[in-house]
Amino acid sequence: MNLSQRHLGLILIAPGLMLVAALFLYPLCFSLISAFSKDGAFTLEWFAKAFELYSTDIVFTVVIVLASCALTGLAAIVIAGTLTLGENRYIVGTLKAIYRWPLFIPFIVAAQCMRTFLAKNGLMNNTFVSMGLMEPLQAMSFLDWRGIIATFVWKQTPFVALLLAGALASIDRATLEAGRNLGASRPRVLFELALPQVMPTLMVALVLSFVTMLSVLSVPMMVSGSQPTMLTVDMAFRINAYGDYATANALGVITYLISAGAAILYLKRGLSEGAPR
Amino acid sequence: MRILTIACSLAALMAASPLAAQTLNVASAGDQNMVDYVKDYLGPMFEKAHPGVKVVSVGTGAGDSGSQKILEKLDAQKSAGASDFDVVVIHQKAAGQMVKDGLLDKYTANVATAKLATGEATRNALGTDVSGYVIPMFQSQTALAYNADMVKSPPSTFAELADWAKKNPKQFGYNGIKGGMSGVSFVAGWVYAFGGDADKLMKGPYDAATKANWDKAFADLKEFNKVATITPGNAGTLDMLNRGEIAIGPVWVDMFYSWQADGKLPPNMKLKLVSPGMPGQPMYYAVAGKSAQKKLAEEFIALATSPQVQADGIVKKFNWYPGIDAANLEGKLDKAAWDKLFTDVTPADLAKNGKVFPIAPYFNDILEGYEKKVSN
Repeated sequence: MNLSQRHLGLILIAPGLMLVAALFLYPLCFSLISAFSKDGAFTLEWFAKAFELYSTDIVFTVVIVLASCALTGLAAIVIAGTLTLGENRYIVGTLKAIYRWPLFIPFIVAAQCMRTFLAKNGLMNNTFVSMGLMEPLQAMSFLDWRGIIATFVWKQTPFVALLLAGALASIDRATLEAGRNLGASRPRVLFELALPQVMPTLMVALVLSFVTMLSVLSVPMMVSGSQPTMLTVDMAFRINAYGDYATANALGVITYLISAGAAILYLKRGLSEGAPR
Repeated sequence: MRILTIACSLAALMAASPLAAQTLNVASAGDQNMVDYVKDYLGPMFEKAHPGVKVVSVGTGAGDSGSQKILEKLDAQKSAGASDFDVVVIHQKAAGQMVKDGLLDKYTANVATAKLATGEATRNALGTDVSGYVIPMFQSQTALAYNADMVKSPPSTFAELADWAKKNPKQFGYNGIKGGMSGVSFVAGWVYAFGGDADKLMKGPYDAATKANWDKAFADLKEFNKVATITPGNAGTLDMLNRGEIAIGPVWVDMFYSWQADGKLPPNMKLKLVSPGMPGQPMYYAVAGKSAQKKLAEEFIALATSPQVQADGIVKKFNWYPGIDAANLEGKLDKAAWDKLFTDVTPADLAKNGKVFPIAPYFNDILEGYEKKVSN
């Protein structure tokens, strides 16, 4: 590559770089500085405050997001597995037609739907009651941590399933058919032959879901009451109620650290195995 | 060539239009109904009276966060030539801060209707002197809404409510402090009731040591929360009341009446303002200090606070209590509309148990105390 081409390359990526710098690096530095300083001097005061007030919420957030990831993974495996190995073409066709729908629904709309669907006297329980599956007195509200997890799983499953189904479709079918010919059941083929080959894709999809779910404000705000709640709600509250950016930024840094754990996994997978990025 | 002509004339049109018409930008903090109030009701009325003026209504979001956004925008434009907003509709907490920061115009002397509003709220916004800078748009009040079929004799004090909740677990619901102001108001009322000197919290002076007296109140509230339902937001409380999932919950009176009028709440729901009282708050009309249209802004506010508009728009259409003194509305409003507003919560109740929010530093202490001792 000669010099002018190199310059040309730099010029071509400059807008992108500038966007990253202006919209990500600058705010990142700004929030880091704000989280660690008071009147220009270094301090950990804001972190102390964040832990004092929100330690429960930090644990709650991590647990919610991890649980949602695990359930999303399971649901996606079932869907992608059915799409790849299913033999009833009506089931496969129907599933194929509808499983992507939640992808096109924004989190806030999903949250609004779940809010009336999962309530104690909401659509779901009322349906069960009218079908005679449940007594009205047994009805309970799911508008708490379970509601958040349900919304996250519902919203993220198609994304993970989409990537996973793509990966499953591209592996060599001969191995799967060999397994079937030798008498292995379909679940066994899925878990012992197919899945190990697409593990990197599954991991990457789950890591991306993890980071997405960590950053959603509308779902915990709308679906569940505020005690305990997720860090995004606490950050919004710090700013809206107190105008306190320092503690909000400290909470932000804690969120960065949590997602950095996931990002390391992602980069490792991405770089070493050449999985889709 | 034709495209070029069209493009040129379009560009010329766009460049010329600001000269031809004046634009008055009205920024409202608050729910969508407040934006609609300006957009669909006040704006057209003002445009009719002022040909060539266009009123643009923008919303900055519900609750204190909406006011915070206006504050930040005005603050960022402090050194600029003119601000984007002319008239701002803001909450008390932000109003005090904006007056302190010099972001607002001292305008009420130029508006005749300012004399019609004489309440405490025209001078004092959570401990900050705001006289001259604001005229209340409306007063709003929180109260307990209850389902009269499920609760035959509703509790009339906070202490009775705590007992009632113990006997009827999960039947009382409120939205904590992060889901909107009706929950915040309930918590403030709780501290007024059990935290000692409520008057000092509302009037000051601020003493940082006071919050130590609230430990017992917060410990009790933590216990109380175990038998209460935490609902998702102001509307969440109303939703759950509507579906019969809770029997009592704190709500904004105006939201309650609007929902009932829309058929979103059963007719057997009633309101009760328990003693020693729950807070309410006004929204304020103010003029941005850097507004380029101060005169127009003042005329807009004069219209908005005129008795007829307050009667038709604020009381009748939106079920808010008027921002100007109620006596000025006499004759402008039919009796039915007036009575409807005061069916459950009488003017006497309102005078006795309608409180203000604590002054800003105590307010923050209460919220943070709740986060520290109740929710974590």
